[in-house]
Amino acid sequence: MTQPNEFDVLAIGGGIAGEEAALNLANIGYKVLLVEKDLSIGGKMIHLSKVFPTLDCGACITTPKVSETARHPNISIYTNTVIEDIEKHSENDFSATLVEKPRYVTDDCTGCQICEEKCPVVVDDQYQWDMVGRKAIYIPFSIANPRIAAIDIENCSLCGLCEKVCPADAIDFTQEEKRSTIKIKTVIIATGFNLFDPTLIPRYGFGKFQNVVTAMQMERQLVPTRPFNNVLRPKDGKMPDNIAYILCVGSRDETIGNPICSQVCCMYSTKQAQLLMGALPMADVTIYYIHIRAFGKGFCEFYQQGKGMGIEFIKGKVGLIKEKENGNLIVRYEDIQEGKVKEAEHDLVVLSVGILPNTDFSTMFKNTKIEQDDFDYVKQVDELSSPAKTNIDGVFVAGTSSGPMDIPDSILSAGAASAEAAGYLKGGKK
Amino acid sequence: MSKTIDVMKEKRKVSEQVRNNIKAFNKLKREILKSLEAGQKTIPEIAREIESDIDVITYNLMTLIKYGFVVAGEIDDDDEYYYYKLKNKK
Repeated sequence: MTQPNEFDVLAIGGGIAGEEAALNLANIGYKVLLVEKDLSIGGKMIHLSKVFPTLDCGACITTPKVSETARHPNISIYTNTVIEDIEKHSENDFSATLVEKPRYVTDDCTGCQICEEKCPVVVDDQYQWDMVGRKAIYIPFSIANPRIAAIDIENCSLCGLCEKVCPADAIDFTQEEKRSTIKIKTVIIATGFNLFDPTLIPRYGFGKFQNVVTAMQMERQLVPTRPFNNVLRPKDGKMPDNIAYILCVGSRDETIGNPICSQVCCMYSTKQAQLLMGALPMADVTIYYIHIRAFGKGFCEFYQQGKGMGIEFIKGKVGLIKEKENGNLIVRYEDIQEGKVKEAEHDLVVLSVGILPNTDFSTMFKNTKIEQDDFDYVKQVDELSSPAKTNIDGVFVAGTSSGPMDIPDSILSAGAASAEAAGYLKGGKK
Repeated sequence: MSKTIDVMKEKRKVSEQVRNNIKAFNKLKREILKSLEAGQKTIPEIAREIESDIDVITYNLMTLIKYGFVVAGEIDDDDEYYYYKLKNKK
């Protein structure tokens, strides 16, 4: 029988891949510890509107999985927690040091949000990609799990109002960082990906022109819990009617150090364009692309469906974006088919930013180095026959920690990782 | 009864930036709500009236919607800008 600080599996990352791997292993009887650095599990998928190519509601798919993970008797979850180090002692014998950051709110929180109402502080809401404010005490987002408030102590005014009004007496400013050591038998890395920061390409004007947004900001505008009352321009609240998408922003670009395709941008942009045509029936949507990579099941049909709905696809490489006085944007691009440089005016530009590795995993392992591939993802040492295997026996990789991929592929990858981890736990394949 | 906030107050001080942000938000909140007292307005109308940058109005107005002070109404005749009104005002 395992002790409270002993688990069979440490799953690092509470996104779709980490949850899937944790559930697979928990369902066959293994004790799993899922560690998530954010305040809620659910990863990036929980913030999406719909998924391509089926246009199923993203939250409707991920929320039941999040709940199942949170309620599973064989899964323990630490949120707001980072892994300081992992040490391998022998086969099936690892230890890890966890650092749980204080939320300053206990598990007694009922999620009533009375504290949020009273808090006088307003800062950027990172879960709405800074398009609207949030309070210093806040529930991260409406379907967060756990639905427990947290205090952003850096921005707290220390007025104490939250503590005064909390009906559950759940505010606890005495909380401190908690360090604990656990023993585990196997590790699954599911730390996910980072999105490219488009300020690194200044000619696109992101951060300078407010009507240039990222696809994740547009994604938030398309969900029911959106920051605005409709899809609007962040600069002046105008309803856009001529929207441009620019693909391959931070992908397939040697100049910013990411030469590979992010695999999802063509399709998520086509998806958003279709959703925009529903949300704003009068809007024109143009997608500037280098190549459309519609390689998955149903993807080409989805692309054709977008074209049929009236999305204009222009094979063009965008070189520069300028802003007019009225907030409209002039997109200067090379029309690849005609071989000409052209300009077009749009009132909102969406940058389809690419996927980059989240290299948090690279510093966790103390006595053995985890190998990374040429693009800094976790190296799959036997990609064809054992795709979850890493260079450390007993450590497996799931989802986008091993490279860019879409949601179904992340789930498949997590299936492979859990199967290989189960094999390792049984003393079979290492 | 002592509150745990007292423990935190001994450990850290509130930064000048946090204080200034609270003042700035409260000032804008007052001005936006006062502007809407007179009736529903679009974002450019509010920005013109209180002589503030339009992007600042958009951000803060949307925050006031989120926290239940303001609601969105109809869109204008040009289908460009929504009207916004106080939540409890007809």
